[in-house]
Amino acid sequence: MSIDIVNSSLRLGLVSPDWTFVFQLINTLILYLILRKFLFGPVTAFMEKRENEIKNQIQAAKNLDLEAQQLKADYEAKLIHADDEGKDIVKKYTQRAENRAFEIVKAAETEVDTMKLNAHRELERERVKAVNELKGQISELTILAASKVVEKDLNEADHKELINKFISEVGETQWQN
Amino acid sequence: MGSEGFGPRIAFTIQNIPGIGDIPVSETVTVTWLIIAVLFVFSIIVTRNMKKEPKGLQLVVEQLVSTINNLTKQNMGERNYAWAPYVGTLLLFIGISNIIGLLGFRPPTADLNTTMCLSITTFVLTQVFGVKSKGLGGYTKGFLQPMPFLLPLNIVGELANPISLGFRLFGNISAGVIIMSLLYGALGSFTEMLFGLTVPLLQAGIPAVLHIYFDLFAGLLQSFIFTMLTMVFISGAME
Repeated sequence: MSIDIVNSSLRLGLVSPDWTFVFQLINTLILYLILRKFLFGPVTAFMEKRENEIKNQIQAAKNLDLEAQQLKADYEAKLIHADDEGKDIVKKYTQRAENRAFEIVKAAETEVDTMKLNAHRELERERVKAVNELKGQISELTILAASKVVEKDLNEADHKELINKFISEVGETQWQN
Repeated sequence: MGSEGFGPRIAFTIQNIPGIGDIPVSETVTVTWLIIAVLFVFSIIVTRNMKKEPKGLQLVVEQLVSTINNLTKQNMGERNYAWAPYVGTLLLFIGISNIIGLLGFRPPTADLNTTMCLSITTFVLTQVFGVKSKGLGGYTKGFLQPMPFLLPLNIVGELANPISLGFRLFGNISAGVIIMSLLYGALGSFTEMLFGLTVPLLQAGIPAVLHIYFDLFAGLLQSFIFTMLTMVFISGAME
């Protein structure tokens, strides 16, 4: 078996079945296997993989978007609720503060009234006490004066007359406040 | 075998094979080897470093592969998607073979052996997958449709498919080869006659128009026709 390239100027017939058929059959099979393994297989697999990846990414993005919208709605609802609640709280405390202020003023007024009353009573008591003291001192003075007069010279008649006069004067005279 | 005519040249001869004798290897075969080698290297290079964002050559290859995939899906249905590599092999091999004349090679498809090899492969696949999907009974019954006496006609029609398929491609391409070589010969003679030059000046430019028609237009069209018919035959037998 050897290879000869001497008669390469010769031509085969234009329409003649020959060994070329067998060669081409094998060549076609080889080319098919090569293209399937090295071109169509890898490229198709690669494109499918990428397609799936992109599909998944789009799906994930859609899910995230949905979630975000849900959260947004939630927060908006909460925000509105919080606003209402805040208003309620302010209202409640304003009311409470007003009530409290009213109570304080009222209590103060009551206390002032009480203090006024007490002061009046005290004053009255002091006055009565002072009058009584004054009465005592006057009678002492009178007795002192009387004894001085007696020590000088006092006869029976004068003495008697003096006492009567004094008594009558005491009985007739009204104490002025 | 001779030194004249339009047949493929013998590239080399494998001699003295025991029991067989000499086997001539024509340029049809060697050019096919070249095409296989080119496609092999091309496949390796383009699939070696594929990026998620396609760019340049990868874009072209992805477009090519997805076009062939979609063509297969459209013509053979979603479930026969696995035929895409075979369809792609036919399209690429016949397409490149038909336009390789532009580089000065003899197209492998200008050889009846090549075209019949391809069409008979399609024929065998058609029969095998027809039997596989319909069962032997259902497949045989198909030849009695619509009337039993049409059996001979159906058989002839079935056998005519690979012959017409192979000869159509061969006829178109070899006609182009013959016309082009006649034109080149004529232009060379004209140059010598008109200007007395041995350099065939007229061969420059003028054949370009015919190359565009015979090699590019007819070549790509025929490769498409062959591939489409193959898909139609195979999916038709499987339905």
